[in-house]
Amino acid sequence: MTRRFWVYIEQEEGKPHQVSWELLGVARRLAEEIKDELEKSGDTALVEGVLVGHHVEHIAREALHYGADTVYYVDDPAVKHYLNKPYTTVLTMLVKKYEPEVMLVGATTLGRDLAGAVATSIGTGLTADTTHLAMGSPKEGEKKLLMATRPAFGGNVIATILCRNHRPQMATVRPRVFSMPERIAEPKGQVIRENITITPEMINAEIVEFLTDKASTVNIEYADIIVSGGRGLGSPKGFELIKELADELGGVVGASRACVDAHWIGYEHQVGQTGKTVRPKLYIAAGISGAIQHKVGMQESDFILAINRDPNAPIFEVATLGIVGDLYEVIPALIKEIRARKEAAA
Amino acid sequence: MTNKEKLSFDVIVVGAGLAGSTAAVMAARGGLKVVMVERGVTPGSKNYFGGALYTHSLVDIYPDFFNRKPPLERPVTETGFWFLSKDGMVRMTVQGGKVNNNPIDAYVAQRAKFDAWWAEQAKKEGVFLIPKTVVVDFIRENGKVVGVMTDRPDGAIYAPVVIVCEGVNNLLTQKLGLIKHDFKGNATALAVKQLISLPAETINTRLGLTGSDKGLAISVVGDVSMGLPGLGFLYTGNDSISVGVGVTLDALSAAQIKPYELLQRYLNHPMIAPLIAGGQLMEYGAHLIPEGGWSTMPQLYTDGVMVAGDAASMVNAMHWEGTNMAITAGKAAGETAVEAHKKGDFSAATLSAYRKRLENTFVLKDLHQYRNMSRFLHNHPEFMDVYPNFLNDALGMFFTGFGKPKKQLYSDILKSLTNRRPLLKAVGDIVAFGRTVMGI
Amino acid sequence: MTNITIKVSFFTVRRLRERIEYGEIITIANKKDIRAAPAADGGNPVFHALVSIKQVPDTTNIRIDPETNNLIRQGVPTILNPYDAHAVAAAVEWKRKLGGKVTIITMGPASAVTSLRECIEMGADRAILISDRKFAGADTWATSYVLSEVIKSIHAQDPIDLVFFGKQAIDGDTAQVGPGVAVRLDLPVITYAVKIHAVDLENRKVVIERKTESRNEVIKASLPAALTCEKEIAEIPYASLPDLVYSLRYEPELWTTEGPITFDPAQLGLKGSPTTVFKTGTPEKHKAGEIIKASELGVDGAVKTALDKILAVEGMAALLGVSK
Repeated sequence: MTRRFWVYIEQEEGKPHQVSWELLGVARRLAEEIKDELEKSGDTALVEGVLVGHHVEHIAREALHYGADTVYYVDDPAVKHYLNKPYTTVLTMLVKKYEPEVMLVGATTLGRDLAGAVATSIGTGLTADTTHLAMGSPKEGEKKLLMATRPAFGGNVIATILCRNHRPQMATVRPRVFSMPERIAEPKGQVIRENITITPEMINAEIVEFLTDKASTVNIEYADIIVSGGRGLGSPKGFELIKELADELGGVVGASRACVDAHWIGYEHQVGQTGKTVRPKLYIAAGISGAIQHKVGMQESDFILAINRDPNAPIFEVATLGIVGDLYEVIPALIKEIRARKEAAA
Repeated sequence: MTNKEKLSFDVIVVGAGLAGSTAAVMAARGGLKVVMVERGVTPGSKNYFGGALYTHSLVDIYPDFFNRKPPLERPVTETGFWFLSKDGMVRMTVQGGKVNNNPIDAYVAQRAKFDAWWAEQAKKEGVFLIPKTVVVDFIRENGKVVGVMTDRPDGAIYAPVVIVCEGVNNLLTQKLGLIKHDFKGNATALAVKQLISLPAETINTRLGLTGSDKGLAISVVGDVSMGLPGLGFLYTGNDSISVGVGVTLDALSAAQIKPYELLQRYLNHPMIAPLIAGGQLMEYGAHLIPEGGWSTMPQLYTDGVMVAGDAASMVNAMHWEGTNMAITAGKAAGETAVEAHKKGDFSAATLSAYRKRLENTFVLKDLHQYRNMSRFLHNHPEFMDVYPNFLNDALGMFFTGFGKPKKQLYSDILKSLTNRRPLLKAVGDIVAFGRTVMGI
Repeated sequence: MTNITIKVSFFTVRRLRERIEYGEIITIANKKDIRAAPAADGGNPVFHALVSIKQVPDTTNIRIDPETNNLIRQGVPTILNPYDAHAVAAAVEWKRKLGGKVTIITMGPASAVTSLRECIEMGADRAILISDRKFAGADTWATSYVLSEVIKSIHAQDPIDLVFFGKQAIDGDTAQVGPGVAVRLDLPVITYAVKIHAVDLENRKVVIERKTESRNEVIKASLPAALTCEKEIAEIPYASLPDLVYSLRYEPELWTTEGPITFDPAQLGLKGSPTTVFKTGTPEKHKAGEIIKASELGVDGAVKTALDKILAVEGMAALLGVSK
């Protein structure tokens, strides 16, 4: 018997979303975790990708470089752009055909739109926004199940969810929660184009237009350096200073939920449980108190520098280094010092 | 929503605090259709005090008050004054004896809980409550008040009589011309307090209470207000202590002191700090208190309108009486509204019965008697610093004068007064104080 | 929805600017000849929106007990899920534009009645509490089952044009119920909706703009349709006094497993849920790092020290383009 660990490969406009590769890495690890069961039963485990779109074969092949043993893909002009019903229908058909044990989907707006529909369509359980995934036995001797751990209650509680009797066990994962696997130079594996035609019954909506003018091109989830501002800035003007520091460092601007709710800056910049999860190499939090909803979105950053006037701010509990001081003094000084050192390096 | 029915009642009560809910229930008992319009999310969400409620006023409205299991904190079984010097304290409290009545005469309470409950009792007797809505003006027809306008779209409510219980920020009262000025800085105090949670046992031990059914209500005088006209307070809740201080706005502003600085200083006082040590801050709040009494009291009624409670300056700060004045006034207003409806006349002439009712109660009698108190304390700051300090020194010296020739001791004690205040002046102060208290 | 004909035309999905048709749709929606009262004789169509809401604990106001490290659930206020509130506001906005009504449903405990009243206050017309012990422990599958059955029943009496959801509940944060219900009812679903551009009741079409990470999409779908809403979709109105008074007096309907409709018991509650909670815990506490005080080292001193430490980390200097 083949135990399949599936990953939905997300793409937009012919470009794959990085979260798909992160999830292939996770799927590989999950497959490793049932090695003992495989040995005993003689079953095999496969990490496989599933992909829908138009002219996407190159993406299918790219997925093999990130550890997929197989990639099933459907190619049809009708599904060039994501629409809920045809994508849900196609995935449901593929799942019914191959019966994967586990299916992971990136928790992007597309992924979250899709996963809930697919789970209901198949009739299985789905755990959203998981931060930890593992194959484990709920009781000694029991067959290993997907243990999907996720924050709830605004991040104050973490819950581990099981889907005991329904398959596939589905989970969505935010981008940047897991790291990218190493790219395999010479992968083994195959891509299979599935023979599914998109019929008119599968389409119940159409895209009238795309609007790129107002949506920004900011995508802070993949930035290596993020400078975030919080309510401590006191006014939206504070973000000018934040941007100055971000530009100086070659990074992007982030924000706490309070600032976004107050319309000081757009939602694309929001870091936290209801915003983006980020794991940059350097995260600077200025004037951010560090409420748990924010912490949950950035605590995996490699290096966290917190600047706050209040020595008791919770952000200092998660910061690698903290400066207690007025950000309107510290940040200009920081910018000055960085410039000085850059000149010295030049 | 096509509900365009005209909202019409027999009585509109503005504010569902203690005065408002009382006026409302009394009017309802007279068979009238009553609506209360409250700006808070729930009644009580905009009210805050030390503090304690007085049983006489509560059972006056609901004779079975205690059977209804009201949300109260500890009964006040010990009460009195603490006089603070910079580093010392003289305590003068009474317990047992005349205080030990059944039921106890005063109960510590929390307004958010209590006012909500008080309003709920009124609703049980048919009063309709509209929360989250602010009354911004009156509606007049032919010069007569026929209703109120609220801040919501299509926000008119009609009634021939309106009872204004809007609280210390008496904007509507001013709009009616019943008072010619906004609240005055020398007649309004800002009180700030902290509610600190501590286990009941700890409270009992620290404050010398023999059980959790015993409670303390203290007026604190002296160092607590840094020589400014004002008072501090301390009340024991079931498992909390409320400590706070109030000073007139003028005095705070002139001295350039921030109210929280005043409060913090009080809480750090060497005699006070150990009482609240280790407790957890649960609430922090502030409220204005109208202390002008008689001198800032508006006209209490006009055609179609009566004013009761804080909005009518009905507070006797020295005796911590305001809540019972509000309830008593609310009751009088409600009863007068019933009368007016029976007569079918809502003119000032008919509504003057409201004031007449109050003249027969402690409300107007005491407000008149204490009419000079606010000014007196302003003009005699020595009651806030000299005398409390002297009292501490005098008693302190007396009780450490062992081995000292007593004539010398008394002479020293007298000097500790006369160094601060000439004796003649001190005598004059006491006399003046007495006269102010007696209202003569 | 087997008893609704979804008029489907096959449109090739491409990057078209259908401005002309788009413009026509808006004109139709603005026509004032759509009567407010239900037309039993098949007169002009009337808009019926249904909003599914949830009462949730206010997770922004939660504290952790410092000793047990557990959630203090006591005294946490419950609120109408913020995204649902905006969904209701949007539904009411369109009801007022087109004439019609808004029905609110919620699957929850008895206390959810206060949230239902808030929706009536915002301008909804009818509110239904779906409450029963047997629903306890329901995951999103079992929840979407119950909601779908209720919606089907309401629709049979009173056809629904749009089903609104908030984009996610702030306690569960799964965002699964909206799409789940849509799939069960075979409705087109538009998630992360930020604006309803047009509702054409005659031609049975709706145009909705949704937000994704990189751009916004404008989607046209046939009615009936479902959407999950972002806060931007509508502002919460300050209710008129008549609306507020109506809500204070309004008594929501109560539906249980006893009636007015029945459910398949196997799909309810914990038993009907594919997912179960295996265990819960509190997130690990992080170790606090070093703290530098500007008051002690001076601002420049603090900044220099901080930079030294950051640059000491491998790869950081290269990343920032700075010398160590």
